[in-house]
Amino acid sequence: MKPFFRRNSMLLISLLVLIALFAFAGRGMGSKDFVITMLRGLSVGAVTFLVASGFSLIFGLLDVLNLAQGTLYMIGAYIGWTMYIRPDTFMDLVPLLALMVSGFALNGVWNIVVGHIHLNPKVQRIIPWTLIALSLALFAIILPKYPIAIWDLNNYAQSPVTYSFMADQGTRLPVTPAVFSQISPFLAFGGLLLASMLFAFAVSLFGHAAQAQGRLKVKNFVPLAIVLIVAMVGYVFNNTLTNFFLGMDTTVLFLISVLVAALSGAALGGLMETVLIRPLYSRPIYQLMLTIGLSAIGVQIVQAIWGRNEFIMPKPSLFAGSGGACPASSLASWLQNHCSTIWLLGGRVRVYDEIFIPLVGIIVLIAVWILLKRTRLGMVIRAGVQDREMVEALGINVRRVFTMVFALGVGLATFGGSLAAPSTGLSNAMGESLLLSALIALAIGGLTSYPGAALGSLLVGFIQQFIIKYGQIGIPIPFTDIVFKPSPPIVPASTVLLMVIVLLILPHGLLGKKE
Amino acid sequence: MLKTRISFFREQRNPIILLLITLALPFIIGIFEGSSPLMVWANQGSISKFIEGLGIEIFILALYALSFDLIFGVTGLLSFGHAMFFAVGAYLTGIALKTLGLPLYAVIGLVFVAAIVQAVLFGLVLPRVKGITFALVTLGMASVFHIVVMSSDVANYTGGDVGLQGVVVPAFINPAIERLRFYFIALIILFLAYWLYKVFVSSPTGRVCVAIRENEDRAKMLGYNTFKFKLAALMLASITAAFAGTLHALYQPVISPTIADLGFTVTALLIVLIGGVGTLSGAVIGALVYRLLDFVLRRYIGASASLVTGAIYVAFVLFIPYGIMGTWQLKKWAWKEGIQRLLRLFQVKPEEGEPKPQQSK
Repeated sequence: MKPFFRRNSMLLISLLVLIALFAFAGRGMGSKDFVITMLRGLSVGAVTFLVASGFSLIFGLLDVLNLAQGTLYMIGAYIGWTMYIRPDTFMDLVPLLALMVSGFALNGVWNIVVGHIHLNPKVQRIIPWTLIALSLALFAIILPKYPIAIWDLNNYAQSPVTYSFMADQGTRLPVTPAVFSQISPFLAFGGLLLASMLFAFAVSLFGHAAQAQGRLKVKNFVPLAIVLIVAMVGYVFNNTLTNFFLGMDTTVLFLISVLVAALSGAALGGLMETVLIRPLYSRPIYQLMLTIGLSAIGVQIVQAIWGRNEFIMPKPSLFAGSGGACPASSLASWLQNHCSTIWLLGGRVRVYDEIFIPLVGIIVLIAVWILLKRTRLGMVIRAGVQDREMVEALGINVRRVFTMVFALGVGLATFGGSLAAPSTGLSNAMGESLLLSALIALAIGGLTSYPGAALGSLLVGFIQQFIIKYGQIGIPIPFTDIVFKPSPPIVPASTVLLMVIVLLILPHGLLGKKE
Repeated sequence: MLKTRISFFREQRNPIILLLITLALPFIIGIFEGSSPLMVWANQGSISKFIEGLGIEIFILALYALSFDLIFGVTGLLSFGHAMFFAVGAYLTGIALKTLGLPLYAVIGLVFVAAIVQAVLFGLVLPRVKGITFALVTLGMASVFHIVVMSSDVANYTGGDVGLQGVVVPAFINPAIERLRFYFIALIILFLAYWLYKVFVSSPTGRVCVAIRENEDRAKMLGYNTFKFKLAALMLASITAAFAGTLHALYQPVISPTIADLGFTVTALLIVLIGGVGTLSGAVIGALVYRLLDFVLRRYIGASASLVTGAIYVAFVLFIPYGIMGTWQLKKWAWKEGIQRLLRLFQVKPEEGEPKPQQSK
């Protein structure tokens, strides 16, 4: 027991000081304020945790500082919003995206085909580039003519701002379904299919993919069949599905949109890892620069598609109730009326922001914890964090695990984004500030430690909210009559200061492993 | 003595030629524009004045990127707080001139002292944290500075998020009137800094800095106190960046708080990456390319220029990882040989009087 205390003395002292600070901070305000501030801190901490945990998983296993995580969080929020407010746009995109990835669904086939082709090396260098140019040209011809029902940034009445405002009022603006007028649908689909196949074939010709031996089997064509069925269903039942989504209860639609955001985030992450990060494993510092560049590009893309204006995302119906019985006085009353606020220990608490988000955060914490501790994948991840070469030597395909972890990390960020959107709203700057919070949380908790990410996020959330609260009520300075009111800029500064202090005392963070 | 001087000039031939060309550039532009060198001298040509302005911005950026290259490329310290070095110089100059009303030489002295102080501040954390953690701590310090600059409590001095305006620049280097003089001063400061950096990197101290980048543990094993060398590099970089900030404050009508945020550090990273990490000359070339690219893109593409900048950046990371100067240094001999081979292809007959080898047999 004694060596434990001696080894962790600095950690224990820091934790004690932090707890004492919180106790001191709690004494200064009433129990009503205290509860609300704690819950708000928990809420901010939960969202920060979703971004930070993905960041920490990626950094722990891959040694990649994914500075695009904040931007991906923002993209997740925007994707969730699109599914939630404009399911028709989403439905129009389904066949398009399915056809664009259809070529990659045949990767197994391409690898076998490439394995059988033996060309003059000079020819083999030219052919892939030619094919890529050809497929890009096809995309460039077809994509501008492909009809998608989308909002109009230049027309205020049809801008995202108006759509979300109307949806918040409970009415949905009528949408005009997109029709193929400039190009026949079969020509468009065939062209997209061809372009995608050419592209995927060219990529496998580069030889990055493993060349498989053997003959073509039916099972190699199964992924393509699935993708094509998805595309066809998306095209044929477009209007039916759109109306189905539009008529759905907003709570269910919200769950679907969160799911869509998380899955598309995972897909985006997998793509990012395989295409961009993978060539750079031998040059670590360049990955960092790459993610910075991607983050800048992501912000620009979001500005180009969804515009620069901030807008809100209405809360799902389960959390948006109002009327005579609101705010709900008890859980039973809330279940009846679905009030947006509830009385809790004398304070009026917003159900979605301050109860639902922390709950989801805790569920994700436990789920990922189980994934890490109780599954084979988690075992490989944990082993990889400790010693990657050893895991490779044991014959485990670490590269595939890398892709999965990257997808998981990015998926967590986009999930967090879509979850936070109804409470924080959507803006172009939401990613940047959250990335800073997540970085600070990780530095406090320990960069590669999963529990550290949770602890750090919680601390960051609490400190931010306590400082904001004290900014309203002021801190009486002892022995004087002066009341010090921290101004809003102090909020980020305080967490940064905490990070610097913690890092100077414990260079690996509170729970980070010592080297 | 004379010999060493001549050899210095021979070694630095290209930079000196570039310096001379850049010195003459406003006059050359003036001739094309139709205004005589005397008119340019009197700051009368409009296009040459515009080119001078662009040049000054490039020199300031180059100075700033050069200092980042010293600590990132040469010493191998990844700092995300470099913008603070620049911003401290800029804001201190602005406040000292505007609010305190100090003369310029006193301002320069003040900036010098402040630069050393902030280098020591960064140095304080050096022995404790390494690698990514150092990057995060410096990011933290710089964001505290950024937040303080932006906050409303000190808006009387820094101008808050609007930026510091109305700095009274001493008349003899006022960029609105005496722009050519400002251009020459900035250019000469850049050249001196570049020369100083070259000397520093090839000096024993600089060699140890390179050794720290390659393998810090080994440098420690060899008996070097790596902390001192890192601190020296930080100080030199801090002073250079702070003076770049001073020039920025003197040149720009508004000191915007964006020069203190992470984005400006990323700009330095981008410039160094375009030019070639650790090559010093790459920082200057990179600043030139970056500023001109930014200018052209903003002019012809408009709002989505940073999308293209980001794409170019990613392309550089993926395809030209050593940057312009780095790739040039690597492939110089192969390219020269290739050019000679190309020349030999066109040269059908060997010249007269030259022995024809292997034909007599």
